[in-house]
Amino acid sequence: MRLLWLSALSCNGNVHSLLNYPQYEQWQKGFEWLYHPLLPSLHTFEEVEDGVKGCDVLIVDGTLEQNLLKHRRPFSELLERYATEAKHILTVGTCATFGGIFAKGEAGRTGVHFCGEARRGEYEWFWQKSISLPGCPVQPEALAGTLSLLAAGEPIPLDELRRPKYYYAYTVHDGCTRNEYFEYKIDEHRFGTLEGCMFYEHGCQGTYTHGSCNKILWNGLNSKTRNGQPCMGCTEPDFPKEGLWSTPKHMGIPVRMPLGVPRRAYLTLAGIAKAFRIERFYKPLMEEE
Amino acid sequence: MARTRLELIEKIEGEAEVLYEYEGERISFAQIRFLNSRHIEKILQGREPLDALVINPRVCGICGHAHLIATVRALEDCFERVPLSQKAEAVREMTLSLELIQNHFKWFYLTVLPLLGLEAPIQRALEPSRLAGEMIALMAGQYPHNSYAIPGGITGEITPVDLLEFRARLERLKLLFRQSLIDVDLEAFVRCERIEEMLSKEGDLPRAMRHILKRGWERVGQSLDHFIVFGGGGLFTEGKSIGTRLQESINLRYLKEEALEGNAAKRVSYRGRYYETGPLARAMVLKTPLIREAHRRYKDSLFSRILARICEVPRLLRYLETLCDGLDLSEASYTDPGPFPASAQGTGIVEAARGSLIHRVTIEEGRISRYQIVTPTQWNLGNGTRENPCPAQKALMGLQRNDPAELVFKAFDVCSVCTTK
Repeated sequence: MRLLWLSALSCNGNVHSLLNYPQYEQWQKGFEWLYHPLLPSLHTFEEVEDGVKGCDVLIVDGTLEQNLLKHRRPFSELLERYATEAKHILTVGTCATFGGIFAKGEAGRTGVHFCGEARRGEYEWFWQKSISLPGCPVQPEALAGTLSLLAAGEPIPLDELRRPKYYYAYTVHDGCTRNEYFEYKIDEHRFGTLEGCMFYEHGCQGTYTHGSCNKILWNGLNSKTRNGQPCMGCTEPDFPKEGLWSTPKHMGIPVRMPLGVPRRAYLTLAGIAKAFRIERFYKPLMEEE
Repeated sequence: MARTRLELIEKIEGEAEVLYEYEGERISFAQIRFLNSRHIEKILQGREPLDALVINPRVCGICGHAHLIATVRALEDCFERVPLSQKAEAVREMTLSLELIQNHFKWFYLTVLPLLGLEAPIQRALEPSRLAGEMIALMAGQYPHNSYAIPGGITGEITPVDLLEFRARLERLKLLFRQSLIDVDLEAFVRCERIEEMLSKEGDLPRAMRHILKRGWERVGQSLDHFIVFGGGGLFTEGKSIGTRLQESINLRYLKEEALEGNAAKRVSYRGRYYETGPLARAMVLKTPLIREAHRRYKDSLFSRILARICEVPRLLRYLETLCDGLDLSEASYTDPGPFPASAQGTGIVEAARGSLIHRVTIEEGRISRYQIVTPTQWNLGNGTRENPCPAQKALMGLQRNDPAELVFKAFDVCSVCTTK
C-alpha cells in the first residue's frame, strides 16, 4: 500500500511519534512511502508538487491555513489533488483533525473537516473516505494500526467524528492506575506521588477524553496520568482549553462530568462513594499493609 | 548579474528554502528562508502561566522536551525561590539528555549518511531513538509531548522498579552505540584525542569520516569560528569561544533579536556578532580533546561539526549513568512552590540537541503578557548580509559546483519548525 504524507503547519510531532511504533520495522514492510517528511521515500517533495501517481492513502498532518504555501504551490492544491486519487484520507493529529493548538495563532486556521467542533463544508466531497486520528501527537499504534486494517481490507467502525472506535471508543480514564481515587471521590491529589486523582483539582480531562492512552501505553510503558500529569484532552476538538492545570468548578463540583454521566446522578454517586472512606487510600501506597 | 537558484531543503524538521547566488560556479551568497509561522509566542499571550507547560513542547516534535524544560525553568525563575529537590533536578537532566541522544542518532542515520551516499539502515536510527523514548516515558509518562516538569519538581514518583527498567535500557543503548556508531570503550572515546585512532575503529562514524576524507571534504563548510553556549550547569559549560579563545562568562543582556522581512525566523546576535551554537560550540567550550584536534586540523568544517555531534553521545550515556547512580529515591519529587506570582519575569535556558534554547516569560496580573523563545536555529541559520553573514550562510559561501552544499547546510542540523513562532 502506497502512502503519501503531507504536512501543513506542523511541529513534526506526529512524524516522530510514528517512529516510536515498537513494531515499526516489521510494519513498514507492508507499506511504501511515496513521500514522508523524514524517512526515505520514492519521491522528492518537488516531484510531489508536480504530481506523482499511485497514492492509496493520503496522510495529512498539521493545521490548515488559508493561502498556506508549502514551496511553489498552495497546500490546498496538493491536498485536493491527492485526496481525489487516494482511497482513504487520514487526518493525523489534532491539528489536521480539529485545528489544534496552532489554530489559536491566527484567524482562518482549521483542521481538514473541522474547525474545533464545527464541521467545515470545504472538503465535504471526501468526508466519506476520511478517517480522523486526533491526538497531540497521535498514538503510533492508532496510526500504524489503522493503516494495517485498511491494507487488510478490514471494516473499521467509526464514531460520528470519524474516529476509529478501536482506538477512540475508550476514554483516557480507562486503565489509569489512579482510578480508585476517582471512584471513591478522594479529591486530594499532590503532584510527585503515586496516589490521587487529578479530576477534582488539577484539570484532568481523562474521564471525558476519547483515546487509548491508558489502554495502549505510550512508548509501550506509561501514560501521562499514570505519571501524575493531568490529561489535557489533546484528542478532543476543544484542545487546548484555557487554564489547563485546574478544574473549573461550580459550587465545589467539577463543571464537566465524566462522559455520559448526568450531573444529578454524579452527585448522588459521589455522596455514597465518599461515605465509604476507605482508609487505605489515605496512606501512601508503599506503606499500605 | 549574478545567477541565482532557489533550492528546497526538505527532510529536516519541516522545510526551508535557500536562495543561492552564484559567481561563475561558486556560491557567492545564500539566503535562508523559513516560510511559515505557527505563532506560538502569540498563542501564549493572555494564558495562565502553567498553560505554557502544555503548549510549548508543541513548538517542536523532536525537541519538545527541551522546550518543556526551558519553560519550567523560566516559570520557576518567576518565583523568589523554588524548593527543587536534587532528585527532580537529576530526573529532568536525564530526560533532557535522552532527547539529545535520540536526536543525534536520527540526524546521523536519516540525514548525514544518505547525503554521503552511504548505506543507512533506518533501524540503526529507530531502535536507539525508540529506546531513548521509552526511558523518557518511564520518568515522564510519554514521549513526545509530555508536561511532566512543573514548578517545584516533576509530576511523577520514581520507584526502584522504574529505575531497573531505565538501567536495562541504558545498557542496551550503550551496546547499540558500540555496535553501530563506533566500537570503542565509552570512557576511552571521551578521552580520545587522536583522529587516526577514531578512524581506525569499526562502525558507521569512522566509516562516514573516512568517506569525507576520501572525498576531500574535510575542510569544506568552514564558518565564522565563533561559538556560544548559554546552557551551563549540567553536562555542558556556558561560555563563548572565538576560535580557541575561550571566555567563560556571558550575559543574556547582550543578546539581541531582530525580525526579518519575508522570513518567519528572527535572527539573533550577541554583542552585535553572530555565533554558532550546538554540539560543535559545546565541544569547543568544553575543550573536548578529539574535537579540538579536528578543529586544529580542519577548523569549524562539516568534519568537525559531524564528529562533535556524535562525540556527545558517549558523554551523555556516561552522564546518564552518573545521574542514575546519584539518584536518591527517598527525596521528594515535588515540593509545592506556593501560588504563582501575579507579576514576574523569568528566563529558562537549556542546551537542546541543536544548541542553546532560551525562553523568557513576563507575567502580568497572573497571565502571560509576553513570551519570547530564542531557538538554536535562529543562531545557526539566521540571515545576515554579504559582509556579515550568519554561520550557515558563511559555511555555504565560496562552495564550488562539486562541493556538497546540502551536506554543509544540514551539518548544522537544520530545523524549520523551531523557527516558526
